[in-house]
Order: sequence, then structure tokens, then C-alpha cells
Amino acid sequence: MKITVDTNLCEVHGDCVVAAPDIFDIGEDDEVVQVLDAEPGEEHRATVAQAAKMCPVAAITIEG
Amino acid sequence: MTTTAVPELRIFDYDTYAEGDPTTFGLPLEQYRHLRDEEPCYLQEFDDPMLIDRAWVVSRNEDIWEVDRNTELYAADRGYVNIWQVVPIDPKNGGMPAMLTTDGERHRSQRQVLAKGFTPGYVRKLEGKFRQYAKDVVDDALEKGTFNFVHTIAHNMPMEALGDVLGVPQEDRVKFFGWVDKFAAPFDTRITASFDEVMEAIGNLMVYSEELAELKRANPADDVMTRLVASGEGGDPLMSPEEIVGNVALLASGAAESTRTAMSHGMHELMRNEKAMAWMRAHQNNLPPTVIQEMVRIASPFTHLVRTATRDHELHGKQVKEGDIVAMLFAAGNFDERVFDRPEEFQPDRIENPHVSFGRGPHKCLGQHVAALEMKILFEELFQRTSNIEPAGPISYVRDAYSRGVYELPVTVTPR
Repeated sequence: MKITVDTNLCEVHGDCVVAAPDIFDIGEDDEVVQVLDAEPGEEHRATVAQAAKMCPVAAITIEG
Repeated sequence: MTTTAVPELRIFDYDTYAEGDPTTFGLPLEQYRHLRDEEPCYLQEFDDPMLIDRAWVVSRNEDIWEVDRNTELYAADRGYVNIWQVVPIDPKNGGMPAMLTTDGERHRSQRQVLAKGFTPGYVRKLEGKFRQYAKDVVDDALEKGTFNFVHTIAHNMPMEALGDVLGVPQEDRVKFFGWVDKFAAPFDTRITASFDEVMEAIGNLMVYSEELAELKRANPADDVMTRLVASGEGGDPLMSPEEIVGNVALLASGAAESTRTAMSHGMHELMRNEKAMAWMRAHQNNLPPTVIQEMVRIASPFTHLVRTATRDHELHGKQVKEGDIVAMLFAAGNFDERVFDRPEEFQPDRIENPHVSFGRGPHKCLGQHVAALEMKILFEELFQRTSNIEPAGPISYVRDAYSRGVYELPVTVTPR
């Protein structure tokens, strides 16, 4: 599984951070969301899929 | 002859909500079900000079997600916010521009800057302050013993929390949120005696917003007002003076009334649902986010918002024309059995909860993480310091078809 975020779309809504806090983070000085682990293990699939679904601007893509 | 009864549809009548059934969260769930099942794109016509002329109403959860997300087909920047003819943040109808009435790049650039003051991480920093507010609020409640939950508990917490996030000086908060309350319930004469009062409150808020902007330019702080007056890319001001005023009105009205409403409907449901109350008691030291989201779902603090179709298209067999208004009936989408397991039940541990109370698209509630934290902390404090919370009289609702305010929720608390 490979995660990409379209940073042109990201508006730091923060829904992905709530859904998958181990994978996504928005620090104080971040303009857009940071992907902490772009190729996480299968055990993260459910929360990452939830993060992608919840993103209000559909900026998160999961491949594989 | 028909065999199934068709309910009379009064989904936008004030009295439907003012006289709502407390056993169905105050909502006309039967009417909503009929809409979702039989008329998923329903033409609502109005005959009231204060309201728009007509709107296509979408009520299924999935359709609301689509309308909210497809900003290219359903625009927010072509006038109107809800069914009201005049809204302070609608620049097409005499109001000020704000993010909710802006789309595309302009929306994104403003949202990106403001959203940084509302991220989960940023909001968590406020936890200590929120705990202190919650403690003060519960101190007051315990001293009173019996009180109106809406005023004593649900009013002060959002006011102080939003005051902190926005950067409204402590001494101005009561008057600032007093104006917001006036225009949040323009049709309930117990709250707002006449429409002149609404206009006066909006005027006062606008004047004050400019003063506050001036204060933040002179004394920048770590708050949202400072971000509002800051420069954007290239050194130009991020927002025009009109946009600053509009966004202050947007943020204030989005935060105060809605959080209070969610807490009040949530408390009411807990008191009539023994199982949920016991669950709260079992989790009172660290409330899981599921219960907060479930309260937000059943509260549906704003029944709807509207968009404008940007081109002719067909929706569930109806011909929607460019310029037609499309209403997202959030309250109906929150009880759609197509996506919710037993939607008419309050389930504090509901995992799959795609409710639409905050919206689901680019205009999604900016304060959602603040609201969730406020509610968690307040309910934790209230439950930890009481051994019993029970009704002291019936609930009554604000007379409005947009904002689902609770007017009165008498409760009696027993200190631990």
C-alpha cells in the first residue's frame, strides 16, 4: 500500500489525522498534512482507507 | 386507495421543530424517511417573503456527500446559505462575503490559513484551558442543583472556548455572543422579539469585528483573529475588510449555537436512555470519540444548508436547472438506514458513523475538532463530579427550521 496526498488540494481539515493518527499528522508549522509513513503495513489499511474516504477534498490516494 | 400512509410534509415549518417529538430527537423522522424512500429529490416551495422561493431537497446520506463535495456542479458562491432570504454572510443578498459563500482558489487560500488554528494538534493545546472552563461551569451547576442545562452548562463552554480560539477578549465575550444568539434564532420571538433586533445585532457584530481586527493588527496573538488580519502569499492582505467581518460572523454563528445545541440534545437523550447513560458512566474518565460524534449526529444542529446548481442536470428523475437551489437536508441524511445500522437508536459506541452534521466537503465545519474536544471535556467533568443527572421538566425547542436549538432542558444534578 502506497499513500499519496495531493498537497494542492489539502486544506488541513484534519479528518485524516483523526482517522489514522499513526499515519497522518499536521504540525504547528505545517502548511499541509504530513504523511508519517507513506508505505505502512497491511494492519493500517482500514484506518488509512477511512482517512481517504473522510478527506473532504479527496486529496488522499491509496495504491496497491 | 393507497395502503401506505404518506405523512404530510412540513420539513421546513418552524413549528415542526418547535413542537418536535422528544422521543425522536425532536425530529420529524417519518417525514424524512418518506423523502429518502419516495422523493429523494423533492421540490419544496415556499410562500414567505423571508424565505427563498423554492429548493430541491436531497435527503439521502450519499446524495448529501455528493452535493457537498461536487462544488463544480453545486456552488456555494452564487447566493443563499440556507432557506432564509437574507443571511449576514451572503454577499449576493446584502451580506458580507465569507468562506462558506466562496468557492475554488479563493476559498482554498483562506481556508488553509484559518484551518491551522483549528487542527486536531493545535486544538489539543487548549485542553488545559477547556478543563478549567468545564470545572467552572460544573461548579456553578452543582451549586444550583436544578437548572436549565442549555444556559447553565451548554452556553458558557462554547462561548469561552470560541473566545479563546478566535481571540475575543474575556470582557467582550458576553456581548459578542449575545449578538450571535440574536441572529441565530431570528424567528423565535422569545429570543429575538423582532427582525429589527436581528439587523441591530448584525450591525453591532460588524462594527465590533472591525474593532477586533484593529486590535489584532496592533497586538498580534496566537489566535484566529490574528490569522484573519494577516497577510497572505505575496504580502497582500489575506482578506478584504468585508471578508474579515463576514468570516467573524460565520465563525461565531457556526460555533456558539451549534455546540450548545449538540450538547443539549445529547444530554436529553442520555437522560431518557438508561443504557446510554450507564455507558457514559462506565466511560466517564475518558470518553471515546464515538459518543461525541453520535451526539452530533442525532442533534443535527443545522437541519440543512443550500447550494446552487451550476448547470442543468437530472437528479433522481427530476430536471434541476442551472441556478436552482439544492438543499442538503442533513437531519434526514443522519438517519438514513442505507448507511446507518438502526439509525433511530442512539448508540454511544457507533463506529461506522458517516453523519453529515459537519458537512463532508470543502466547506466542512472548521470548528469540528474544537467542538469535539469541548464536548468531551465538559461531559467528562460533569459525569465525574455527579452521581446522578435527571430531568426536572420537559425539554422545549427553539422555534426554527434551520437551527435546532434547545430552548429549555431542566435538569437536576446530585453531587458525587
